[in-house]
Amino acid sequence: MKERIGVYVCHCGGNISDYVDVEKVCRAVENEDGVVLARTTLFACSDSNQNEMINDIKEHNLDGVIVASCSPKLHLATFRNVTERGELNKYTYVHANIREQASWAHSDDKTGATEKAIHLVKAAIAKSRYAEPLYPYWFEAEKTIAVIGGGIAGMKATASLADKNSNVVLIEKESRLGGHTAEWGSLAMTDEKGYELTERIAGDIRNRENIFILTGAEVISTKGSIGNFEIRIRKKPQKEGDPSEIMVMKIGSIVVATGYDHYSPKDGEYGFGNSDWVITLPEFKKLVDSSTGKILEYKGMRISNVVYIYCVGSRQANGGNSYCSRYCCTSAIHTAIEAKKKFNGIVNIHLNRGIRTYGKQELLYAESLQMGDLYLQFNEESLPKIFVKKQKMVIAVKDILSAGKELEVEADLVVLVTGMVPRSDRSVGSMLKLPKGRDGFYNEVHMKLRPVETVIDGVTIAGTCQGPKNISESVNSALSAATKSYSLISKGTLETEPIIAKIDQENCSWCSKCLNACPFDAISKEAVHNREVAIVNASVCKGCGMCTPVCPVDAIDLTGYSSKEMMSMIDVLV
Amino acid sequence: MATKINPKFKDELKKYGAVNMSACYNCGTCTAVCSLSSTEESFPREMIRLSALGIENEIKSSLKPWECYYCGECTNSCPQTANPGELMMSLRRWLTSKYDWTGLSSLLYRSFPATIAALILVLAGTLFFACSRDFNLEEMLHYGHRFEIIAISTVFLVIFVPNLLRMWYFTIVKPKVRTPLKRYFSTSGELFVHMFTQKRYKDCEENTHFRWFEHMILVFAYLSLLFTTVFLNWFATYNLFFIILGYVESLLIFAITFDFVGSRIKKSRTLNKFSQPSDWLFVTWLLLMGITAFLVRLFIDLNLTESVRWVYLIHLIVLAQWALIIVPFGKWTHFLYRSFAMYFSQLKTQSKEPVSESAQ
Repeated sequence: MKERIGVYVCHCGGNISDYVDVEKVCRAVENEDGVVLARTTLFACSDSNQNEMINDIKEHNLDGVIVASCSPKLHLATFRNVTERGELNKYTYVHANIREQASWAHSDDKTGATEKAIHLVKAAIAKSRYAEPLYPYWFEAEKTIAVIGGGIAGMKATASLADKNSNVVLIEKESRLGGHTAEWGSLAMTDEKGYELTERIAGDIRNRENIFILTGAEVISTKGSIGNFEIRIRKKPQKEGDPSEIMVMKIGSIVVATGYDHYSPKDGEYGFGNSDWVITLPEFKKLVDSSTGKILEYKGMRISNVVYIYCVGSRQANGGNSYCSRYCCTSAIHTAIEAKKKFNGIVNIHLNRGIRTYGKQELLYAESLQMGDLYLQFNEESLPKIFVKKQKMVIAVKDILSAGKELEVEADLVVLVTGMVPRSDRSVGSMLKLPKGRDGFYNEVHMKLRPVETVIDGVTIAGTCQGPKNISESVNSALSAATKSYSLISKGTLETEPIIAKIDQENCSWCSKCLNACPFDAISKEAVHNREVAIVNASVCKGCGMCTPVCPVDAIDLTGYSSKEMMSMIDVLV
Repeated sequence: MATKINPKFKDELKKYGAVNMSACYNCGTCTAVCSLSSTEESFPREMIRLSALGIENEIKSSLKPWECYYCGECTNSCPQTANPGELMMSLRRWLTSKYDWTGLSSLLYRSFPATIAALILVLAGTLFFACSRDFNLEEMLHYGHRFEIIAISTVFLVIFVPNLLRMWYFTIVKPKVRTPLKRYFSTSGELFVHMFTQKRYKDCEENTHFRWFEHMILVFAYLSLLFTTVFLNWFATYNLFFIILGYVESLLIFAITFDFVGSRIKKSRTLNKFSQPSDWLFVTWLLLMGITAFLVRLFIDLNLTESVRWVYLIHLIVLAQWALIIVPFGKWTHFLYRSFAMYFSQLKTQSKEPVSESAQ
């Protein structure tokens, strides 16, 4: 029970004090039980106030600190650190949010906002009285890192980790490294061949002592958590009929780089499947790469008019893939230029929905314009239609650059510029419980602030498994993921938050309800003194609190949010 | 009815002088900066788009290329250096060759060797004629004068009238512009105003109207010199007023065309950066016409009888080439097509309005 609590009510420069009477809040709480100090401050987070708080803790011998200010998302960590610098346990700090929850939410009702703020601060005081000092958990971490997926992203992540002297296991399902990149000939912007690029990187990582490459190998199960993953790998037998080899590995952190699938048009989408002369961009790219001679032939026919239809399987509003696949505009234009340079008489006509050749890729767009490629633009409401007229394939399109004129374009070959879709094989994601976004790709924690981390500690994502990217973007994200994965475990020890579920083993009678409620697989059954009870894996538990309310005998308490603390807060609020 | 596109049309236009038009990415800056473009009559982007897609029928029925007077502002502002101004210019050349029923315009515009051959042919013909008359000045003057009258009327009846009818057919009849006959009369004033003053050109430049003024003086000087030589028989007249008039006119032509040729050489103005053979031919021959006519009369007045013969022969050659090649099949025709385009355009606009009582 805290008896010397200090309360700070923040103006937030007017963000709070314009609507909440902060002085009134201060006076309303200064006589609460246990409060020895209550004052307002212009900016609680400012350096000067932080130093004042540290002085107060020492001078007034405080045993609990409360700041009533903005959202804890913004400054909980700041004030926990202040408390720690004042030589108190940082988990005794309690935060009250009177900006988002009072002043901003009720800017039309100043009296009500003030009233609510008083309640929120009193509730925080109630919690503070029972707040216990807590201590983070420390444990040893494995220093080997696994990279799942041996495409361009996986290989670059592997090389980067090896540079950091970390042991790396690279696991690739196929029998060769390189992924989709190895399928291509000349690549946009660099004009290096795709297979040469991947071979160059593969050659580099094959020669490193601290890299262990497994091809034809699949992760079949994972166990454990950051620092102590245990993954089981099945390796395809060398010869058919041999038993497949199962390996078990101890891993500290995992980089997932499982890549993408090409969008495969539905039967009949722009005549795909119905006509031999409607193919996808990857198919066309391979045709251009592999054809020799000065004339482009496909299935024995000479090709001159090539019509590209963009955004097939991308940017669809209704029920389809709503995202832009980023790489396809550039790739289509690059392939069109290649075809025109390589073969005689090629006429490229691009039916697009706005060209997105961002950055230096704009140069390719300019080059293709200079070479005389035609660009017609349609919108989603009127998609191009393909039909046959006098034995010729004709595409009708409403060109918005010609004031919506209905135009007809003759084609020898129609190329559907298809985008990227998530891998149909999601086994790695399901095993690791990686969350997926609405687009079906794996989600990062925050697009800008934590772009390669997932909510699963110790698992980072790299390359196109996270969303469509071109090769250089994939490589950038791979290097970032490698560095992040490395930094998590490089010390060899790990600290986790002490706010986790605690089981009262006396009361627990193992009904498995908590096990089913846990989204992180942190609960397991164990025999203690001949009784079956639930136990919590401290390094896996996230302290989400899902298990607490489902326990029929109330044997689970959440550290830092104990029933006692929560009940006392509710008493003040109602 | 959907329109078929023709990606190869661009290559055709290149022969008429289009420069770098493929680079256009349809931003519309050209239309935004154009001081003649309006919401109802918007160009040049629309014409660039039609050209890129190769929709020949719509270009053929459009009067917009003639509504542009090439100030060069669009070309200067184009972020892609796609040269919209030069494209409009090449469309005018293309239209000229489409209006021409003989197909000779088309041949001369696209083929420089053909132009040279035609010039040499006329040169040879004139020399042959002069030779057959033993280079007799009296006879040469007599037949030269007669040639002028015959050439003017023939070119007018055989070339211009049918070509203007074709232009009318392409731009008014085929696009089904319905306009009552009386409007052809009530609007005809517009035709002559534009023909003689190039009124619209004045709105083209922002600050100075010097070029418009120069151009207008040239038109007046040229037309009146034509009148002076053909109907007042300048080379044979004794009327002092007529003689001085001719001197003034030919000097003006010389001075202005000298400036025009100079700016094409220096490429000082945007519109002069990409001169085609047809442009060179037009200004140079106009200059030569001015200077030789001046010298002929000067030599007559100075009684340099022997020299007059040769100067007149040169004048006759230039004149014949001018009257048989440049006027009917070259750039000269823009004098007619521009003014008729303004006239037809006015009719088109009016056809969208109901016939008002007061117009009667």
